[in-house]
Amino acid sequence: MSNFILEVRSLRKSYDEGRIEALRGVDLSIAAGEHVSITGPSGSGKSTLLHMLGGLDTPTSGEVLFKNAKIGAGVDPDTYRSQSVGFIFQSFHLLPTLRSIENVQVPMLAINGKDRAARAGDLLKEMGLEQRMGHYPNQLSAGERQRVAIARALANGPEILLADEPTGNLDSLNAARTMEILIGIQKQRGMTLIVVTHENEIAHMAARQIHMRDGRIES
Amino acid sequence: MAIGAFVGLVGFSRAFEQEWLRIYSSSGTDIAVIQQTFLNTSVDESAGATLKALPLVEQATPVIFNVMDLTPEVNALVFGWKADSYEFQSLQFLSGGPFHDGQREVMLGELLAANLNKKTGDTLEIQGSAFKIAAIYHGGSALEAGGVIMPLDQLQQLSSLQGKVSTFHVRLRSAPSGEAPEAYLKRAQAQIEAALPGLRAVPANERASNNEFVRLAHASAWGTSSIALLIGILGIANTMAMSVFERTREIGVLRALGWKRRQVMVLIQLEAVVLGLGGGILGIAMGWSAMRLLAILPQTANIVTVSFPLPLLAEALGIAMLAGLVAGALPAWRGAQLSPVEALRHE
Repeated sequence: MSNFILEVRSLRKSYDEGRIEALRGVDLSIAAGEHVSITGPSGSGKSTLLHMLGGLDTPTSGEVLFKNAKIGAGVDPDTYRSQSVGFIFQSFHLLPTLRSIENVQVPMLAINGKDRAARAGDLLKEMGLEQRMGHYPNQLSAGERQRVAIARALANGPEILLADEPTGNLDSLNAARTMEILIGIQKQRGMTLIVVTHENEIAHMAARQIHMRDGRIES
Repeated sequence: MAIGAFVGLVGFSRAFEQEWLRIYSSSGTDIAVIQQTFLNTSVDESAGATLKALPLVEQATPVIFNVMDLTPEVNALVFGWKADSYEFQSLQFLSGGPFHDGQREVMLGELLAANLNKKTGDTLEIQGSAFKIAAIYHGGSALEAGGVIMPLDQLQQLSSLQGKVSTFHVRLRSAPSGEAPEAYLKRAQAQIEAALPGLRAVPANERASNNEFVRLAHASAWGTSSIALLIGILGIANTMAMSVFERTREIGVLRALGWKRRQVMVLIQLEAVVLGLGGGILGIAMGWSAMRLLAILPQTANIVTVSFPLPLLAEALGIAMLAGLVAGALPAWRGAQLSPVEALRHE
């Protein structure tokens, strides 16, 4: 029994009947409350690794353990994504037909309607968006959209935040503010934060930096 | 469109059935005597004497039903009655009086008279023969109000049915005290069928819902509605398939946020049901409008009555939602099978 929140053992992922190998045997352990950044050139496998860590994709071989239980065997991937992980994407992926407060409620499947709205409101206030709750995504700036997405990622009080290029679509001011929020949340709540990025400045904000190349961890 | 067709056609056929029932109830007919084969029922007129002699039968009168073209635009239900038929009691004469057997005379329902712009004393040509209009009447049912009643012998000649009638309408004597009406009716049926082998004695309400005209109307309504419904289901399925394709990334987001396949399926199915329900409400409005239009067109006004009973509307909405559910099943299943990562990458 280890004390790691996430463990990756001999993880391989290939596509196109094995012709493309995105991950070529990755081993990794991440402790609870760690802030980790994953960097590497395009095609190095960093996003694929993040998807595996989040239970979004299944490995070709190897395993991903969450608190010593294998995702897909000991842990149901849907329940894991819903309860234990919060995702933040480069292009926000907010639902365009829903208002900010409704977008934040989308993952709250296990919470009743009244509590759901109250919790979503609190999270948006925490993100400084109390004046933007009734706005649709196309009425928000890029920075505001990303903050709505962060509020949504926190909807079910996850232990892990996974961010895939969270500042990729933001200007430097909004990028700095987004990272400030993410790191603040990570420290305040003791969450595990894993950020995939190609920006060195963002990567260096993490206590631990992982560099990938050709589907392997280089350092 | 499908629900519009359903509401219009099935609503019409059911209203038609109700009007037939009113024909029997307004005249006090208890039993209709017909051939055992329902389609093309044709009974020997001579059976009337046997019927009248039966102890439970108070009155028995022969009747012929037919549909005839009165003008190139207007057709109407034509009834052949004997001048001494007890069914005259259900009519209220607005002008003129009863026709005479053996005479080229007809009586017009008020609705038909208005449509044809005819009055008592005018002449009406039916199948090349001129008939004098003896009376304009108010009938107990919309079918009578939009119909023609003529001497039985005249309709037999026009229809080449000499010596034959469509049915005998029977009015029974009062049930003896202590005998339940249903039991009495059954006893009368048995007595009539025993006296006239090969013929059936059918309770009036059963005959109203099971005569050739009503059965044909029901069959046409359901047949046409079913085809329209099938087209409607394909339409919704196509819309939902397009919707799932266009929202692939959205489905990926939902899956990434922890939605289970089952929950994605329920969402898509719900959307399909709502789409069906919306179409159903629109269809009911269209069906109602179509019925209103048919009820005022001279070609159809005589046989169409506008009636939208609550069960029909509930049935229409139920069918619309079911159609949505069926149509949404495959798109929902396909949407739920999408891999979250592949769906998120979808452009």
